[in-house]
Amino acid sequence: MPKDDSKQDEVNEMKVMAQPQSKEVGEDQIAAKVHPDKQAGVYLPDERTCSAGSGIIASKDFSLYYGDQAGVKDITLEVYPCSVTAIIGPSGCGKSTFLRSINRMNDLVPSARAEGTLLVNGVDVYDKRVNLVNLRQQVGMVFQKPNPFPKSIYDNVAYGPRLQGIRKRSNLNEIVHKCLTDAALWEEVRDDLRKSALALSGGQQQRLCIARALATRPKVLLMDEPCSALDPIATGRIEELIRTLKSEYTIVIVTHNMQQAARVSDMTAFFCLGELIEYNLTKELFTNPGKKQTEDYITGRFG
Amino acid sequence: MRRRLRTYLDRAFTGSSLLSILMMSAALVIILAPMMYRGSKAVLFRGTVEFRKMQLNEPMFHRGNSQAIAEETERTEAARKPVYDLLERFGALLDTELSQKRARRLYRELKKQLRNRVENGEISQDRCDELQGRAKQLRNALVDAYEAGDNETAQRKLAVVLEPGNSALLAGTVGEQLVGEAGSYAEILQTMDLSQRGLYRREYLAVKDIVGKLLGPPPEQRGQAHLTEFRYGATRWDRARQLLDELLWKTTWAAQENGGALSEGRTKRADLFRQTQLARLFDIIERDAEKMLAPKRTFYWQYFIDDCTPGHLFGGVGPEILGTVLLTALAIGFSVPLGIVSAAYLIECKRDSCFVRAVRVCINTLAGVPSIVFGLFGLAFFLDWLPARAPWLGFRPGSNILAGALTLAILVLPIIIRASEEAIRSVPRTYKEAALATGAGGLRTFLTVTLPAALPGILTGIVLSLGRAAGETAPILFTAAVAWRMGMPRSLLEGGTRALSYSSYDVAVGDRVAMDAPHNQYGMVMTLVLLVLLLNMFAIVIRSRVARKLRGQ
Amino acid sequence: MQPARASTLSAEPVAGNSAAAGFDRPLLLTPGRDLAGFVGRLVGKAVLAGVASVSILAVLLIFAFITYRAWPFFAEGGLVEMLGSSQWYPTHDQAEFGALSMFYGSGIVTLGAMVVAVPLGLLAAVCLSDVMSFGIRQYAKPVIEILAAIPSVAYGFFAVLVVAPWLQQRWGMDTGTNALNAAGVLAIMALPTIISISEDAISAVGRDLREGAYALGSTRAETMVKVVIPAAHSGIVAGIVLGIMRAVGETMAVWMASGMSAQIPSRWWDLGQSVRTLTATIAQEMGEAPKGGSHRQALFALGFTLLAITFCLNMVSEYFLARAKRPAKAKSK
Repeated sequence: MPKDDSKQDEVNEMKVMAQPQSKEVGEDQIAAKVHPDKQAGVYLPDERTCSAGSGIIASKDFSLYYGDQAGVKDITLEVYPCSVTAIIGPSGCGKSTFLRSINRMNDLVPSARAEGTLLVNGVDVYDKRVNLVNLRQQVGMVFQKPNPFPKSIYDNVAYGPRLQGIRKRSNLNEIVHKCLTDAALWEEVRDDLRKSALALSGGQQQRLCIARALATRPKVLLMDEPCSALDPIATGRIEELIRTLKSEYTIVIVTHNMQQAARVSDMTAFFCLGELIEYNLTKELFTNPGKKQTEDYITGRFG
Repeated sequence: MRRRLRTYLDRAFTGSSLLSILMMSAALVIILAPMMYRGSKAVLFRGTVEFRKMQLNEPMFHRGNSQAIAEETERTEAARKPVYDLLERFGALLDTELSQKRARRLYRELKKQLRNRVENGEISQDRCDELQGRAKQLRNALVDAYEAGDNETAQRKLAVVLEPGNSALLAGTVGEQLVGEAGSYAEILQTMDLSQRGLYRREYLAVKDIVGKLLGPPPEQRGQAHLTEFRYGATRWDRARQLLDELLWKTTWAAQENGGALSEGRTKRADLFRQTQLARLFDIIERDAEKMLAPKRTFYWQYFIDDCTPGHLFGGVGPEILGTVLLTALAIGFSVPLGIVSAAYLIECKRDSCFVRAVRVCINTLAGVPSIVFGLFGLAFFLDWLPARAPWLGFRPGSNILAGALTLAILVLPIIIRASEEAIRSVPRTYKEAALATGAGGLRTFLTVTLPAALPGILTGIVLSLGRAAGETAPILFTAAVAWRMGMPRSLLEGGTRALSYSSYDVAVGDRVAMDAPHNQYGMVMTLVLLVLLLNMFAIVIRSRVARKLRGQ
Repeated sequence: MQPARASTLSAEPVAGNSAAAGFDRPLLLTPGRDLAGFVGRLVGKAVLAGVASVSILAVLLIFAFITYRAWPFFAEGGLVEMLGSSQWYPTHDQAEFGALSMFYGSGIVTLGAMVVAVPLGLLAAVCLSDVMSFGIRQYAKPVIEILAAIPSVAYGFFAVLVVAPWLQQRWGMDTGTNALNAAGVLAIMALPTIISISEDAISAVGRDLREGAYALGSTRAETMVKVVIPAAHSGIVAGIVLGIMRAVGETMAVWMASGMSAQIPSRWWDLGQSVRTLTATIAQEMGEAPKGGSHRQALFALGFTLLAITFCLNMVSEYFLARAKRPAKAKSK
């Protein structure tokens, strides 16, 4: 957690980050952000594969209230491009709330009210003039329980592109092929794309949802406990998929499963009771947690 | 023992609850079975040659193989001839006016004949006068004999005519026939009691009437009847059998001693005509009825297309079906878009504002309004107020289809809104979330994801309201329904239409002639009930099939 | 880690408000599109609200017109005559509009129907929810649905052509179309309503209460009568009230089955007499009543009374349904 006197620096930092002048994110910048007083070995996101100007998310004292109750309070963190950021914590600590705030899905709840700043690619998403359509297309979401539409596999993946106005058959075919391949589902469904999506198994449905999210060409993928409804084998495949997707997309994954976070993510944030307790490189957080609360949670003293 | 009592009470309770379900199933069967069975007789029955003749000759239907029918007609006429002959002769007997006229005519012919002979010089004028005089006497006597009310007087008069010398005198002239007539009349008088003539006449007329209903008018009177119901005999074998029974047996009423209701009895009609020529008629008809009518198994599927003759005596329910379909289709056409959009608004937009609550209260109120009040409203609004205050809308004060359809639309609106609401509400929220997360706006999400997923429920609601609208009578009673009209109205705003529901009421209670055609009464109701039940089955099928598709099977 | 793949679709970098090049579509709306979106949403909401208000409009119109046409009758003190006298002679020179016999007719027929339909319906609802196995229930439910779907004209037809002769011949009644006939047919028509709502209410009671009662050793009858039905009583009452509403508002079946004689029999419980209901009177006489005349106004007045009665019954049933939906713990405070 950054100290109070470096708050102003922080805000400046964020503004700098909001307009990346270089293609990659400098390692010293990360080191300074994350470890203001640590010197440990620094992990760098893979510069070769990170495409230019990947979107990033930054929040500053962001709170979301459902009526009078706070879902999350005073969250300040940022998500680095082409990385996997995991958010862990016990039930009801606001992980999903924060995630859903990023792409404004909390608007579905009538009493939701946001305070603070939540920037996506430098734009405050709670600005009144935000183009929700573009936001949600570029910040894709995969839900906890696979929720393919009751349409065919093809129509599920083509839903997003059709919204963008792409009508030509050949273009749509191309997109569907690419997304299903990226989601590691192509081989299994290539024979019959007209089959109803609901006839697929749970793991396949979740991969289909990932393909559907990819079809809108997002820069960020938000995943809300994507494997909690799946069996271990399917879970393993999704995790593998995440590792693959990391090269092109920024992924934020909320998970109940600490081991999964440890396996898959580069950065981990620990939430508890609506507040961000600790945010660090995964390796560091799990081997050398900075806060006692984090340590208690990781070692299982509460859950 | 307390426990035993409780067990028995429990068993009684369970038993009686099962019994109530059984009773309702029984009630369903009891209500539907006779309707379906008797109604099916309108379509499947044994039709006689009269039916086929009617189908051919009536311009409304005009179908059938004319050659085959002509042959059949020939055969049946041959079988019927004895009956008609008997009737005619007996009728002539009873109808002394004809005989009297004939006697007078014979006299006039004799006079002419005699005059001719005088002119030709065959006989002298004196002879002519003598013959004429005698013939006149005979004529008067014969006429008196015909007019006589009892056998004695008649015989006396006839004796005058039958004096031996008369036939010799008038031999070779027309006057012979006078004597001949007297002779045959005397013969008949031996079997008939003239004082019974009144009674005979009544019975004869009754018999003639029934034979007319059974076999149709006699050949020489064909084509004279104006009303269709009198042009043909019994077109159905079951009706023929009924008439046959009526012909052979007469119902008599006898007053009871204790002054209660009259008691019924049956006597053979043939006994009434014992020892007259007419007695043979009954045997002939009983024996040869089938030959006279040629019943054949008929599948009259055109029942559902044909128009009908006045009073629904012959023909089918085509215009009724058309009217019902038109009214229902229009009603659904108006209410479905309104209903689905209203349901969408109620669910998607602000949940508990005053407006939304007001709308819900109004929907519940509408659902509870009695159907006759809808009819009153339709009358007051569409037929009275709108034509007066807003004539530019085109409504006219008379019955019209549009008014009826709009009234039905208001009746059906709450059903559609409720069904659509339920359907839309039951679409899982996750679909909506997924669509929103992919970037679709509110309207897009609704049109591309929510609505298709809610479709089975909405379709079920639509089909159920189709059934409801088709079966309703009271709303269209004052606005659109007419009992009978020729053809369909030319425009939606002018002229009422026949409808299955209203005509079912009409044939059951209103129409005299329809009582003679119970198969048409039941046929109409059967058509209505079949239509409604089919729609309901269709709704159930849609519900299960599309629901299965949504589940991915 | 897999090597980088170039996208097969090239995204045209669209200049947005942010200087970012990665997000190729602008995250902020241009003022024009913002306004357009706002206006579009407003117009859309207005259209939807307009369509939804059609139902409000319909109800208001119905009440307005029935009252408007019935008002002249009430304004002349017709209410007293209507409720006080049973002399209904609308076509006489000195027309009399005493509708008491019609109220009696509607009342006795509804009462008779309910006396049969309520116990039968409750028992059937209990059977459907607790006694029958799932398989048989699949066959029983369609029976109820079909009974509900049969048009009222068909019921009336059955009453006048099948039941009436039977009553006359087999039971020696003076006339086959009488209050008994009408009450019987109304009972069958009201049953599905009562059964479906009561069954919903009984099922909604849930397993907890039932299991509690069974665990204490009750028989099924005792559980149902002492625990479940009392727990579901709001819904059941609502169902009964709706059944009454259906019976009162029914036109065609009673028109054909009740005999249409506007009289109150000397022995009021004598169901063998012909009676006349409010609904059937309106249906029968409207065709003969001259436009704008007092007869027509009287008939509209009868219609108004019907509307008022069914509206009140509707409100009562709404109240009970709302009570049924309230969670049980909210009731005891």
